[in-house]
Amino acid sequence: MKNVRIWFKKDFECRYISHLDLNRTMLRALHKSKIPIWHTEGFNPHPFATFPLPLSLGFRGVNECMDVRLEDEDYSFEEIKDKLNDCLPRGIRVFNVTEAIMKAGKVAFASFTIKLSLPNKPSGLVCRQLEELLSQSTIEVEKKSKKGIKTVDIKQGIKEYSVKEQFDFAELDIVLAAGSSDNVNPNLLISALESRTGEEYETDVTRNDLYTENSEPFR
Amino acid sequence: MVSKEVEKLLLKVQKPGRYVGGELNEVIKDKRKVAVRFAFCFPDTYEVGMSHLGMKILYSQFNKVEDIWCERVFAPWVDMEEEMRKHNIPLYALESGDPLSDFDFIGFTLQYELSFSNMLNMLRLGNVPITTKKRGEELKNIVVAGGPCACNPEPVADFVDLFFIGEGEEVDLEVIDLFRKCKAEGKSKSEFLRMCADIEGVYVPSLYEVDYNPDGTIKSFMPKDGAPAVIHKRLMTDMDSSYYPDNFIVPLVEIVHDRAVQEIFRGCIRGCRFCQAGFIYRPVREKSPDTINAQCRALCENTGYDEVSLSSLSSSDYSRIVELLEKLLEWTGDEKVSISLPSLRVDGFTDEIMNKIKTVRKSGLTFAPEAGSQRMRDVINKNVQHDELMQTCATAFAGGWTTVKLYFMIGLPTETMDDVADIAHLGQDVVNTYYNTPNRSKGKSVRVTVSASSFVPKPFTPFQWEPQDTIPVLHEKQKHIIDSITSKKIQFNYHDADTSFLEAVFARGDRKLCRVMELACDRGFHFDGWNDCFRLEKWLELFEECGIDPAFYANRRRDFDEILPWDHIDYGVTKRFLQKECQKAYNNQTTPHCRLECSGCGAAKYGKGVCFEKRQDMV
Ligand code: SF4
Repeated sequence: MKNVRIWFKKDFECRYISHLDLNRTMLRALHKSKIPIWHTEGFNPHPFATFPLPLSLGFRGVNECMDVRLEDEDYSFEEIKDKLNDCLPRGIRVFNVTEAIMKAGKVAFASFTIKLSLPNKPSGLVCRQLEELLSQSTIEVEKKSKKGIKTVDIKQGIKEYSVKEQFDFAELDIVLAAGSSDNVNPNLLISALESRTGEEYETDVTRNDLYTENSEPFR
Repeated sequence: MVSKEVEKLLLKVQKPGRYVGGELNEVIKDKRKVAVRFAFCFPDTYEVGMSHLGMKILYSQFNKVEDIWCERVFAPWVDMEEEMRKHNIPLYALESGDPLSDFDFIGFTLQYELSFSNMLNMLRLGNVPITTKKRGEELKNIVVAGGPCACNPEPVADFVDLFFIGEGEEVDLEVIDLFRKCKAEGKSKSEFLRMCADIEGVYVPSLYEVDYNPDGTIKSFMPKDGAPAVIHKRLMTDMDSSYYPDNFIVPLVEIVHDRAVQEIFRGCIRGCRFCQAGFIYRPVREKSPDTINAQCRALCENTGYDEVSLSSLSSSDYSRIVELLEKLLEWTGDEKVSISLPSLRVDGFTDEIMNKIKTVRKSGLTFAPEAGSQRMRDVINKNVQHDELMQTCATAFAGGWTTVKLYFMIGLPTETMDDVADIAHLGQDVVNTYYNTPNRSKGKSVRVTVSASSFVPKPFTPFQWEPQDTIPVLHEKQKHIIDSITSKKIQFNYHDADTSFLEAVFARGDRKLCRVMELACDRGFHFDGWNDCFRLEKWLELFEECGIDPAFYANRRRDFDEILPWDHIDYGVTKRFLQKECQKAYNNQTTPHCRLECSGCGAAKYGKGVCFEKRQDMV
């Protein structure tokens, strides 16, 4: 048995499916592909797969991953990639298969590219609004959880960022905490911006890469 | 394919995954290279529509023809509809993203009466005029419809250019062939429709004139322009050679029935007198176990589904069910595929079948005795005995099951309050049976769910002349069941009587209702099948405004010699037979099912199916 990490992109139509739907889609593709991976036992066995870091509905992901346990250790990674791609919708593309080198729990940060725009307003304005928000010493935002709504400060969870003015949008590259206890969803940042300026932005969020505590790429 | 404009809306609505397409096995073609574009519309949400077998069959069958591109359209949920209206985005097909108004054919499947308002709403959202008259003479945007509600098409006759009567597999393609020809010859839409009327199984409502008596009943129904006086249904005579997809679209989001579905036969041998499906799909025609087995396997391979459901009106009536299950179990275990067998009859739940399904999956048990008292079950011809039900439940309890769901109907013809109370008593008997079963699951309690829906008289059934109970009477009966339940082990659910009333109005409506439908569309009615949207008061206002009394359709007893709005349509079962069955119901007499004895319903004229099986070697 070998732990294998499957790397994929989630975009186009599949950008609009939830993590739960992604999970089901992946399990079905694994089942259809007949790749020899370990199944859960019991009455209704199904392929076993875990995701180191779920992606929110609406985000694009260009370097996403899923872990499975390969029963046949000699099975080629290339074949896993090809077979799975044949069984997946076009919005999910596997581009690499590797051994799972790090434990899933090692993920501590994730980098994002967030494009923001306001209809009929210059992108320079949005850039300034972003800079202003991000230079605050605290960024408070209401966060909904199972226990109710509470106010949190997300400033601590922002590791680094840069704002670029593009032709018709502001581009924010940002690294956010993504660990199990500390994490900031880009949607929180967007709602912090919206409540500060009172505007409603058009947004396009892409998650790029995952990193460990000491900024090594997650492998 | 989603346009940039639509993308902007998707993050504002619930479950955006249902508006994007892009699923595995979706068919994409080059629109410049196809001759016929067909929009298959399901007048309900994506999750409901994608679960529908008929749509999967026709989608796949159409797209197998190179120059036809069939795409899917569903009703956007209210939040999405609002966004689309606000931003002027017309209803579009999932595959190409093109608006409905771009299509040659706009086809609806009408599965339930309460989806009529969605059909009109979808046309309007797609910028297609809702009435045949206003759509003009150009040979495009031809609105067609099929499905069980097409058996009485009259309430929507003004909106649909042509109806497919019966099973669509062959007749759809014949109509499309004619379309290609007419298009090449530059024919107008009315010329095309007139020619379509000569195809068996096609009904063109604009070719008929209806006259009414002063009391509102039909005086005459006359074909114009040489159209046939009677429209005969189409049906597939050989199920083994009938088209069946080897592939389904696999949705990205969870749908209602998220599994492979394998049809095992059409029709039903039983003839329960309230059940429309039991008559309009006659005669029973089975697929062979080998065909089913091969089709199941292909479906599972191509979709990745790990569950396959054997679909029919009553799976245990499949004549070779044990042989079939044995064949399936040869590979499903290794492939980790489970089989589910819905629509089991009380008397079909044998040890042998149970053991076979149990090896794969143990799901909840559901039975439909439909009525509480034996007399009432005889009236509706539900040939299930009290002892049989108890025996079956005992078998199930001994096999480890602890929950049973029982489905009933209230408001059936001749029903008394005692019959109604017997629904509760039957539930109690099941509870008692549990405690009297010696080898039941130890330490567990039993749960019996009793559900009661309200009887809706439907066309082409022996009860098509019957009045529906009024809403207050139905409420009284619901309350009577609640009062008659004494055990906490029984949970009681009932369907909203308001919904059943409107369903009854449309099920047996005539063309006068088209005005109400049109007004409903103007007022933005939609999703009447959903409690979120349905308000009977709003409909009652419309009826009032149109000067129409809905009780005329729902609560009136019709004479046997009244011309019924659907009398010009022939589903194989004769009116004389239905009358005989109705009389027998009044006398509490049952009719044996097709495998025991032929009752001469008329469906033998198709020359195939159960009518020609040898009876002596039947169980
Ligand atoms: S003709 Fe006889 S056997 Fe055939 S469907 Fe009718 S009742 Fe059944």
